[in-house]
Amino acid sequence: MPPTGLEPCKMNRKKGDKGFESPRPYKLTHQVVCINNINFQRKSVVGFVELTIFPTVANLNRIKLNSKQCRIYRVRINDLEAAFIYNDPTLEVCHSESKQRNLNYFSNAYAAAVSAVDPDAGNGELCIKVPSELWRHVDELKVLKIHINFSLDQPKGGLHFVVPSVEGSMAERGAHVFSCGYQNSTRFWFPCVDSYSELCTWKLEFTVDAAMVAVSNGDLVETVYTHDMRKKTFHYMLTIPTAASNISLAIGPFEILVDPYMHEVTHFCLPQLLPLLKHTTSYLHEVFEFYEEILTCRYPYSCFKTVFIDEAYVEVAAYASMSIFSTNLLHSAMIIDETPLTRRCLAQSLAQQFFGCFISRMSWSDEWVLKGISGYIYGLWMKKTFGVNEYRHWIKEELDKIVAYELKTGGVLLHPIFGGGKEKDNPASHLHFSIKHPHTLSWEYYTMFQCKAHLVMRLIENRISMEFMLQVFNKLLSLASTASSQKFQSHMWSQMLVSTYGFLKSISNVSGKDIQPLIKQWVDQSGVVKFYGSFAFNRKRNVLELEIKQDYTSPGTQKYVGPLKVTVQELDGSFNHTLQIEENSLKHDIPCHSKSRRNKKKKIPLMNGEEVDMDLSAMDADSPLLWIRIDPDMSVLRKVEFEQADFMWQYQLRYERDVVAQQESILALEKFPTPASRLALTDTLEHEHCFYRVRMAACFCLAKIANSMVSTWTGPPAMKSLFTRMFCCKTCPNIVKTNNFMSFQSYFLQKTMPVAMALLRDVHNLCPKEVLTFILDLIKYNDNRKNKFSDNYYRAEMIDALANSVTPAVSVNNEVRTLDNLNPDVRLILEEITRFLNMEKLLPSYRHTITVSCLKAIRVLQKNGHVPSDPALFKSYAEYGHFVDIRIAALEAVVDYTKVDRSYEELQWLLNMIQTDPVPYVRHKILNMLTKNPPFTKNLESPLCNEALVDQLWKLMNSGTSHDWRLRCGAVDLYFTLFGLSRPSCLPLPELGLVLNLKEKKAVLNPTIIPETAAGNQEAASNPSSHAQLGGFQNPFSCSQEEEEIDMDTVHDSQAFISHHLNMLERPSTPGLSKYRPASSRSSLIPQHSSGSDGTPPTKPPWTVELARKGAGKEQSPLEMSVPAVPAAPLSLFAKEAAASKHGEHRRRHEHKKKKKKHRHKHRHRHRHDARERERDREPFAFSSPASGRSARSPSLSD
Amino acid sequence: MKWRGILQNVSQRPKEISSMARARWRHGGLGQRLRNDISEIGRSAKSYCEHTARTQPTLSDILVTLVEMGFNVDTLPAYAKRSQRMVITAPPVTNQPVTPKALTAGQNRPHPLHIPSHFPEFPDPHTYIKTPTYREPVSDYQVLREKAASHRRDVERALTRFMAKTGETQSLFKDDVSTFPLIAARPFTIPYLTALLPSELEMQQMEETDSLEQDEQMDTENLALHVSTDDSGAEKENASVLQQNPALPGSRNGEESVMDNPYLRPVKKPKIRRKKSLS
Repeated sequence: MPPTGLEPCKMNRKKGDKGFESPRPYKLTHQVVCINNINFQRKSVVGFVELTIFPTVANLNRIKLNSKQCRIYRVRINDLEAAFIYNDPTLEVCHSESKQRNLNYFSNAYAAAVSAVDPDAGNGELCIKVPSELWRHVDELKVLKIHINFSLDQPKGGLHFVVPSVEGSMAERGAHVFSCGYQNSTRFWFPCVDSYSELCTWKLEFTVDAAMVAVSNGDLVETVYTHDMRKKTFHYMLTIPTAASNISLAIGPFEILVDPYMHEVTHFCLPQLLPLLKHTTSYLHEVFEFYEEILTCRYPYSCFKTVFIDEAYVEVAAYASMSIFSTNLLHSAMIIDETPLTRRCLAQSLAQQFFGCFISRMSWSDEWVLKGISGYIYGLWMKKTFGVNEYRHWIKEELDKIVAYELKTGGVLLHPIFGGGKEKDNPASHLHFSIKHPHTLSWEYYTMFQCKAHLVMRLIENRISMEFMLQVFNKLLSLASTASSQKFQSHMWSQMLVSTYGFLKSISNVSGKDIQPLIKQWVDQSGVVKFYGSFAFNRKRNVLELEIKQDYTSPGTQKYVGPLKVTVQELDGSFNHTLQIEENSLKHDIPCHSKSRRNKKKKIPLMNGEEVDMDLSAMDADSPLLWIRIDPDMSVLRKVEFEQADFMWQYQLRYERDVVAQQESILALEKFPTPASRLALTDTLEHEHCFYRVRMAACFCLAKIANSMVSTWTGPPAMKSLFTRMFCCKTCPNIVKTNNFMSFQSYFLQKTMPVAMALLRDVHNLCPKEVLTFILDLIKYNDNRKNKFSDNYYRAEMIDALANSVTPAVSVNNEVRTLDNLNPDVRLILEEITRFLNMEKLLPSYRHTITVSCLKAIRVLQKNGHVPSDPALFKSYAEYGHFVDIRIAALEAVVDYTKVDRSYEELQWLLNMIQTDPVPYVRHKILNMLTKNPPFTKNLESPLCNEALVDQLWKLMNSGTSHDWRLRCGAVDLYFTLFGLSRPSCLPLPELGLVLNLKEKKAVLNPTIIPETAAGNQEAASNPSSHAQLGGFQNPFSCSQEEEEIDMDTVHDSQAFISHHLNMLERPSTPGLSKYRPASSRSSLIPQHSSGSDGTPPTKPPWTVELARKGAGKEQSPLEMSVPAVPAAPLSLFAKEAAASKHGEHRRRHEHKKKKKKHRHKHRHRHRHDARERERDREPFAFSSPASGRSARSPSLSD
Repeated sequence: MKWRGILQNVSQRPKEISSMARARWRHGGLGQRLRNDISEIGRSAKSYCEHTARTQPTLSDILVTLVEMGFNVDTLPAYAKRSQRMVITAPPVTNQPVTPKALTAGQNRPHPLHIPSHFPEFPDPHTYIKTPTYREPVSDYQVLREKAASHRRDVERALTRFMAKTGETQSLFKDDVSTFPLIAARPFTIPYLTALLPSELEMQQMEETDSLEQDEQMDTENLALHVSTDDSGAEKENASVLQQNPALPGSRNGEESVMDNPYLRPVKKPKIRRKKSLS
């Protein structure tokens, strides 16, 4: 046996490790991807890849690569046939026969499965054995070329085919295909090392129909016809080292547009959309200029391509030198609302070109740096493009989002450190998924993660100044670009990877400031800060007594210690105070500068130096305080609940110039329905210099106040006279002016005001007749003929307004809703909706905004009992073939119907759609909507909650969604929302009610029966012998959080899991043989693995130990390594028996029942195991599966 | 007039004749003959009288005429004195229709000084001066908007109802399909095209607004052009045109060479593998 002097790779990078150590025993330098044939009809792809690798250890004999879905025909290394194994434990996470239904169990198993193939841990689905002829070659660390022929047939993920079913050739039909996926998903379409940290240069070749264009990364070197001249081959070269995860592809009959400002930038869109493409991308060069200027760095790639495709997975996906966008972002010059959104998407993708594509990350825990920097520079672009108000508003919005999410779910951790694998340190125990891998994350969590990342970058900027910040970015970029031009041999490429440590080091080098506390608070720790503030003015001492409390006990919160800025606006001006928030100090005395002197007429200076006249009559005569703001710069991730008098909020709204302050005061004024508040809001609304979003917010607040003041309200309904003055004709106030949307501010206001007005209610809690007629008149007199812009969004908002005006129907004796008893107002509304919806069929609006609003309005009418509740209409609009926005709106209505009417049939229909719909985004969205608006939750009794549903959902997340990480995580989210973490209550009691608590050495009631009392940690630390056993069967899942609870099912399940993986080879989608399984747990009881530290497949021969780096923080000693694997089989068998006997009486009773069922699998398992071991005895490298009867020497499995 | 009276009388004659003859009367052949005869009598009598240099025909003239025409004049008195003779009444005196007074539209213009007063007066002004005859348009903004809005709404309603009636529909109420008919949702094969591309109507509108703007621009441009041409003479203008012409393709070429984009390059022909066979 060759392996003698093993050097175990030290894998777990602790914080402080500077250099990058590859988890693999080899280094990839170059990869060729060649796709010879793409068949749109059959949706199949045939091609090969060739990886050039340099071994880094002498005894490299197995090479692990990532590959999913692909059918692999043949693997050759340096032209020698090589044996290979294909095993993907994520296909089915838990074995299907398992009766285990608790989510804890699933999450652990899933995390284990993902890490078993995680490239960042050196693992992979595809394991290739180096032919023995090459061992000598390898020992000299000479180059290996791995050539893999593969094909893909009807891929469910990774590559998405869009083939419209119309007449004509594929090019005429607009058929196209593109790569997609969440995080590193390149393995779905070709074998590779699917890691962000394994960089190499690329040669990409795609042979496509002559009418099509293949767009991929790097430079298009040449396009050559095939011999029959019917196809052409696109040759791409990417000389900048790039991770496989940043490789992408889009093929279709694209129209090509060379950017008129930058000729190295090319835009692609689907046929007929060229005019839209021209307009949409006409702005891109400015974004380029901006980023290049602030980063003082050229765009790193020699070219850039944007491709706009249909049925996009996400709106924006950035890959090396190329971005893939949803075609729905394209718009013409007439569209107002979409323009900023699309520009934001373009800017976002471009920011990710620098940080994310060019600069990649070392490991998943460094992801926050990339997301943070790209989000941060995107924010700077936003500030420059849309102005400071928009930027601050956006920051506030993002802050509110992250705060709400963290308080709801218990925290988002940017930089998770997984030391020791002890579950006590598990940073995310509050979550129902593991945060150790990107692929186990809930999508919502990931979006919030990105949001928090850029907010934290902003905090760092606050600390070290923007100048230094940009210097750091420039440093990172210039290091990377130097490295990128170097040859592989220089070992410089790892400079292109960013790590948390490296980033922080650059910051301290550049700025000389210590930001460690900040990092500790926001990056290494999850949670936000919750402040409660109140104050009193001490007239005698002329001191403001501020009390700031914190809530740091509720989930998702943390304690804040450090400086906090407080701004006090006094009569004499605005003063900043920095308070030191400490452990126990709640009260802070702030001396006031001004005496109360309301009689003197004098202008009051504001923060920005402006001096204004104020009417001070509303003020408290004794106090000079106008308003107080806590943390005005948003330099803490916090939620502030501050108490101050209503007049102070009103002053703040009127005179504070910061839009965030204005918005905060609007929110606060909702609680003070007084005429003074009304006046302040109305004035804001009228004030033209006020930020339009503030004015829009004021509309809704005014509606709420008016409703609270309904009995004392005088005059016309709120906002009506305002609207009339602003937008109606001078001569005839009931008629709106013909549309002219040249001023966007007033356009947005004009759109919003009616929507807010429709929320007004009279004393009977009905929408006032006057308001309804007003809105109907607006619709009637709407005239867009002279307008330069489309009014589709405006009309859509008018329908939203109509929907807002609907109040619940007065129902007499629960009568059936018919046309005859239709409320006359509703009849008018329905008339409009019908007309609009029908007109849409004849003259469709941009993105069908009007249809979307109509569908929403119809659902509102149904829900309020005016129209019979019926999902049929929505179901027809939800069908494939409608525009995606319409489908989502219709599906949302069906989801709502499912909840309100508790319809099992509709739920089934939705679940079916999740599995079968051709558009991944729609599938994801249905799950998302079901999670947001669940038909029932874990605490609610519902007729929908039954065993069949549990099984169905379980199946969905267990095996039905293996082709799409995002979808699977969505299914997990839904399962969690419906059933919680433990066993669903609707299931019958498990067969065994008792559980052995090994820690306390007593039997307890099966925790799965008692929901949410997750029986503590039964990890048998106190009993070494049982620990060994548990370690044995838990091993497959050990690299993630370990099992919290062990009930009898678990044991069986692990066995089932094992046998399942043995059965894997029968699966069509796994063309390889599963030779060793990560789940082959029993045999891990052999002594050298009993440290319980790793999740590597224990039956593997020791020569793979260098791969078994699974970081438990413990290095395996050479002594352990040297123990030969030969006795593993008998030992494991013995151990299995031992394990069975140690589990006491009741366990045996239970097992008896189950044994029959499992017997078959167990038997098979042993049989194979033995056979394999025996074979290995004879010829250690000729591994083969006895089940297949093929030897490793003839590895081509299918031809 | 008189003819009709005579004919009426004559037509009473058939009472004295057979029914066959009456039918022939009715058919008008005889009536025509009679008319011709009477005309001939008048004409000849007049000729005879004029022949004898008189102005009024006398009995003798008529007799001569009758004789000339072959009548037996002697039978006339007997015929006139027959018993069943009907008296031809004089035709009823109809009121002479009063010619309506010429409508005076406007006031006739007096003659200018250089025209003598004996010349006829000017005709009514409307005969030679253009008079606007349409009604004053409704210029009330409110009414117009109202009309435009309701017109539009009616058109839309009618159109959608028509479309709904001619195609499949969906309904919000199970018991009533016709009050709020919704045109059934029909999936598209390529949904993004209808969703993203502006509709024809919008395109038209865009062009209109664009052309309006363009017109304005054109005006200013034209002005500028004129100014420049005014400055330079005709020859110079020609020369400049000549200079511009070669410059135009040149600049285009230049652009193309700058726009060296790999996607615009021609597709290469495959390398021929025959080399192998040759060697």
